[in-house]
Amino acid sequence: MDWTQLDVHPRIISAVQKANIKSARDLFILSIGDLQKITQLSITDIYDLQKAASATLQKHSAVTALQLYREKTRFPSQHQKLGLGCGVLNNLLRGGLPVVGITELAGESSAGKTQIALQLCLSVQYPETYGGLGAGAVYICTEDAFPNKRLQQLIKSQHRLRTDVPADVVRKIRFGDNIFIEHTADIDMLTDCITKKLPILLLRGQVRLVVIDSIAALFRCEFAAKDAVVKAKHLQTIGAKLHQLSRDFTTPVFCINQVTDAMKEENSVLSHIGLQDKKVLPALGISWSNQLLMRLMVARTLHEAPPPHIGCILRTMEVIFAPHIARATCYYTVDLEGVKGIEVRGM
Amino acid sequence: MQRELGSFPIAPSTRARLVAAGFHTLHDVIDFSGSEVSREAGISEESAKEALNIFKRQGSNSQILKHTALELLEQEQAQGSIITFCSALDEILEGGVPLGKVTEICGPPGVGKTQLCMQLAVDVQIPECFGGNDGETVYMDTESSFRVERLVDIANACVLHCSLITQAHQEEDHRLAMQGFTVNKILSQMYYFSCQDYIELIAHIHTLSDFLAQHLKVKLVVVDSLAFPFRHDLEDLSLRTRLLNTLAQQLISISTHRKLAVILTNQMTTRIGPTESYLVPALGDSWAHAATSRLILNWEGKQRCATLCKSPSQKERTVQYQITHQGFRDVQTSQPQMDTAKPEINPRKRPREDDTK
Repeated sequence: MDWTQLDVHPRIISAVQKANIKSARDLFILSIGDLQKITQLSITDIYDLQKAASATLQKHSAVTALQLYREKTRFPSQHQKLGLGCGVLNNLLRGGLPVVGITELAGESSAGKTQIALQLCLSVQYPETYGGLGAGAVYICTEDAFPNKRLQQLIKSQHRLRTDVPADVVRKIRFGDNIFIEHTADIDMLTDCITKKLPILLLRGQVRLVVIDSIAALFRCEFAAKDAVVKAKHLQTIGAKLHQLSRDFTTPVFCINQVTDAMKEENSVLSHIGLQDKKVLPALGISWSNQLLMRLMVARTLHEAPPPHIGCILRTMEVIFAPHIARATCYYTVDLEGVKGIEVRGM
Repeated sequence: MQRELGSFPIAPSTRARLVAAGFHTLHDVIDFSGSEVSREAGISEESAKEALNIFKRQGSNSQILKHTALELLEQEQAQGSIITFCSALDEILEGGVPLGKVTEICGPPGVGKTQLCMQLAVDVQIPECFGGNDGETVYMDTESSFRVERLVDIANACVLHCSLITQAHQEEDHRLAMQGFTVNKILSQMYYFSCQDYIELIAHIHTLSDFLAQHLKVKLVVVDSLAFPFRHDLEDLSLRTRLLNTLAQQLISISTHRKLAVILTNQMTTRIGPTESYLVPALGDSWAHAATSRLILNWEGKQRCATLCKSPSQKERTVQYQITHQGFRDVQTSQPQMDTAKPEINPRKRPREDDTK
């Protein structure tokens, strides 16, 4: 960094240059004693230097919560939401997914996880007034081939699903052209995709949603039980990277997770994360859970959906945790047109 | 006057020369002028003058502050604390989160750490006549989990609560205080910093004391979460320990100096024991010494519980709490335990039970 821009005595600057300190980061990583030794400065000088360097490092100065609340265009991360393309589900989620942070959707197979992810890939393409973000999506598949047939089906029936959007708006969006599909077969490929390909796509601004279907598949097959520590480390790195991308580009990250059967152990670790009443638990353990902003769970019930959704299975979506929503449940179903929430009357 | 020169904050080269020239204590050097010292010790006149300035400035007020235990007790009792709106938790904390101390909140994801932080950030602003602190808040967010819409929920509930008290008691000072206590006021007195990585967090802490000097009303500093930026990107664990300890020292000195409460949140991690694995706070054992008190939030079945597991004055205890639309609250024992929705039950036969406000 350019030391001459710091607001300190020129004597301190020349000492820093002479000591060959390259970045402001080093000023914080080295201990005061080490800094004294290499720069030959007094302690007070070093405090001044650190303070001045701190000021230049701060990308964001203080804002009040009132500014966050009022200035909607300046802080999109607090106000924009990505809708699910369904009024009932959006109500459950207070408007949709927050645009910064990792949202996890966990559930058994055939609970409807991929259906929800596909619908998000379409709803993100709508303009902001209709709950979208006006850009495409990246879909990273790790377990299965991308369900292209289903996607085409959904695209064809968008005008029927989204009756809230004028028909000409729906017609204008070329849904199929804005979904980028990536297949990753192992963790290295996934890491490569997240660290190299994703930033390029996001930088171009064509993409405002990242879907990973599923995060669990790779981790559950590559690591044996004894490698838990290595696995946790990998998960932390990937989680942190996704979090960083999400924040830098105000792009929501949507991860699908598998579930494991809950053991009936009284003191098991998983029972301490508020899921004791569940038969199944999200996979990947606490080191992954720590990375999440919001966790949703979906499940299939044994019932049929009430009319007018004849012949469809009733499913539930539950908010397990989120900083802005209380724990809540909602029913939904999946039909030809897509995912639809079911309003429950009789309050 | 007998203070060693080595104990003053001067450049190491200057110090070495002074000691080599026979200047060992303050008494040896204080009566000389800059040029004399520079000649004797063989250092430049400029650095000699600078060193002498430091000696004079610090030597004169080097009296160690003495307090009797009674004075300290009185000071501590006068400092007060921030109520949490959960009376059971207030009770185990002796009235709330103490000012002038560092409190760590640990817990698994989704248990309510961020909710408690936001609740306290609002509560610290309650006017003094309602038993509040009439303070302001600094909120450092490292996980981007701060949601202003949620804060507005909590602030609304808090303002409503105070206005109900005003209506019930009809006291003049309450009425006056309520005029200035609005949701917008609460929001405008909360300073939000977002930190992207641990370097930025450290940078913010370095400038925090300057910021606090400009904003004297700040009574609460929240770092949510401290653990997140330090749990990745840092391969070198000894470096992590050192950085965390430095950070803790800075925060402790800020909190005692400015008499404000510091809240740090921490994640949980799995520790694999010989027979079973269990959850422990992250960041290692040495970090456990940093905060004055440590509160662990966890689930027991479907119930949220708070355990005070480190405190200088209170014994270890566990209480229950819940998180409602209004914020962090007591568990209502009179009300029967609400069963969270069972997926198996047909929706047509069953009303929804979440509060649709």
